[in-house]
Amino acid sequence: MKRPSGVVGWLKIILPWLLLIVLLLLPKASPGDNVIRLLFITAVWTTTSLAWNLLGGMAGQVSFGFAVFFGLGAYTTALLMHAGHSPYFGFIGGAAIAILASFLIGLPTFRLRGPYFVIATIGVTEAVRVVMNNLDVTGGSSGYRITEDQPFSQNEHYYSAIAAVALAVLVSTIIANSKFGLALRAIKQDEDAAADIGVNAYTSKLWVHAVAAGLTAIAGGIYARRAAFFYPGDVFAFSTGISILLMPVIGGIGTVWGPVLGGVIYGMVEEQISVKFPNLHLLIYGSLLIVIILLEPDGLLGLLRRIFRLRPLQQAKTKLAGDPG
Amino acid sequence: MDSVEYLDLLLKALLLAGVYAAMAVGMTVIYGVMKIVNLAHAGFLMLGAYFALEMFQRFHVDPILGSIIALPVFFLFGMAVHWLLVRWLPKSDTPTLASLLLMFGFWLVLQNIAYLVWGNEDQSILTPLTLSSVQFGQISIPKVNLVVFAAAVFCMVVLQIVFHRSWFGRSMRALIQNPYAAQIVGVDDQKTARLTFGLGTAFAGFAGGLLGMLFSFSPDFGRPFLLRSFVIIVLGGLESVSGVALGAVLLAILETFGINVPLPVYWHGWSFHYLPPSYQQVIPFALLVVVLLILPKGLSSLFSRKWKAA
Repeated sequence: MKRPSGVVGWLKIILPWLLLIVLLLLPKASPGDNVIRLLFITAVWTTTSLAWNLLGGMAGQVSFGFAVFFGLGAYTTALLMHAGHSPYFGFIGGAAIAILASFLIGLPTFRLRGPYFVIATIGVTEAVRVVMNNLDVTGGSSGYRITEDQPFSQNEHYYSAIAAVALAVLVSTIIANSKFGLALRAIKQDEDAAADIGVNAYTSKLWVHAVAAGLTAIAGGIYARRAAFFYPGDVFAFSTGISILLMPVIGGIGTVWGPVLGGVIYGMVEEQISVKFPNLHLLIYGSLLIVIILLEPDGLLGLLRRIFRLRPLQQAKTKLAGDPG
Repeated sequence: MDSVEYLDLLLKALLLAGVYAAMAVGMTVIYGVMKIVNLAHAGFLMLGAYFALEMFQRFHVDPILGSIIALPVFFLFGMAVHWLLVRWLPKSDTPTLASLLLMFGFWLVLQNIAYLVWGNEDQSILTPLTLSSVQFGQISIPKVNLVVFAAAVFCMVVLQIVFHRSWFGRSMRALIQNPYAAQIVGVDDQKTARLTFGLGTAFAGFAGGLLGMLFSFSPDFGRPFLLRSFVIIVLGGLESVSGVALGAVLLAILETFGINVPLPVYWHGWSFHYLPPSYQQVIPFALLVVVLLILPKGLSSLFSRKWKAA
């Protein structure tokens, strides 16, 4: 990792930790169940947003199929809890199943160039939902209910969601600063050139897909445990996959904090708007997506950076112009 | 099942294939010329169905005629969409992240505007044709399927003529084969791209109207058909119009027979079981995965490989 330099450099190191401490201490200040619930759902979505960004943002492989992993996480956790295991074992089990599924999807499709992976991810979501709607073990389309024998603890759910989002940030940061992350960025820019300098694009994509799937499944498990009731039309819905894709794109793909920003905005807005206007929020997200793609491909984070760097950039330009070399 | 029933199913599958081909061809030409996977295709299909419905309910225009009127209307609409949004995308030989997300965002917008305008109830277009049928010996075919098939095939033939006999078709084919060489010999790629996008959208609107006569629809109507279009053009090899027809026939036959023919299952000895009808939706995607694994370049690669070997 780079050594921090200057005030901004140190702030970048300190702020995330400060944020984490605030989030961990927050329940002590008893801000009310509603705030905790809102933060819980935001943390779950932010985790999936960060996970999608690993594959879509860093490696440039768009997937519409993250609902599969989210749903698999939810169902595996529920089934394992039903069998008498601890929910935390359930989260890990969900991650394992999702990683297996990610290989099943990735092994055939990552061999191909072009749009095949994207197409396959749409197909897989649809197929998995149809199968889950008809599967007797999980109650089919009428859903599945989790019963816990311990009392409902708002804080435990909250802390597990915060832990998941912290894990996702940690994994993203480690990958972004590693040789592996560099390889992923090379693949995104030019797969042939990456292959020429010795990057194995196929296995790199497979591994990052697996990591992303595992994180998404953990988020799915945490969501399911809190919701206590869920059905395939909810966790496996195409729109769940869409939401997971929208957050990082809106926030700014390819960075660590862009998806966090996107997830936070999405989580807050979703909770407030979608109840009152069930269709309006997708209309807004669609328009926002168009505007972002055409005008600011780096998302809101890119926009913020542009605003705050306006002066230094101009200074740098004048410096360059004044340089006789 | 006796042979008459099989013949009946085969006929119905072939009639469905006609509409499937009209539905997928718009996506194929856009992909071929611009290398854009047009996810908004689903939105155009849905709008086409509502267009035919509105024409029918307000002006008492026959839905077949309504679908044909949709051709020029959606052609202009598609050109406008290209002029407003698509032309600002960076050019590329392969589909880019930006183009996928842009078209996807546009689909979301179309879909949710439709929710605001028409609500989320299922609609259907019912005409006298819908309930009457034609008898061929023991087989009865709904008239609406026949008429829809005829309209679809007619438009495909017109498209094929445009594709092979006009300058516009020639420049489209040139851009599909080699965009750089095409520009060197003077093909205006921006103009051709705009017209192609219009053409693809026109066919989506047209096919949407036809599909609206066969199935009930809601603003989420396009999604399963978007996936079927994908399967068809992957089967057809993403760039050829005649491949689309072949892919459409294959998909329609597999979908129809998949749930009507008992499959051998090994479970404590061999036995035959029917696939539950609710699994019919899984067939296209199972087919997609199989094709991607065996023939990544589509059915046409099967023929060209043989050709090269010989």
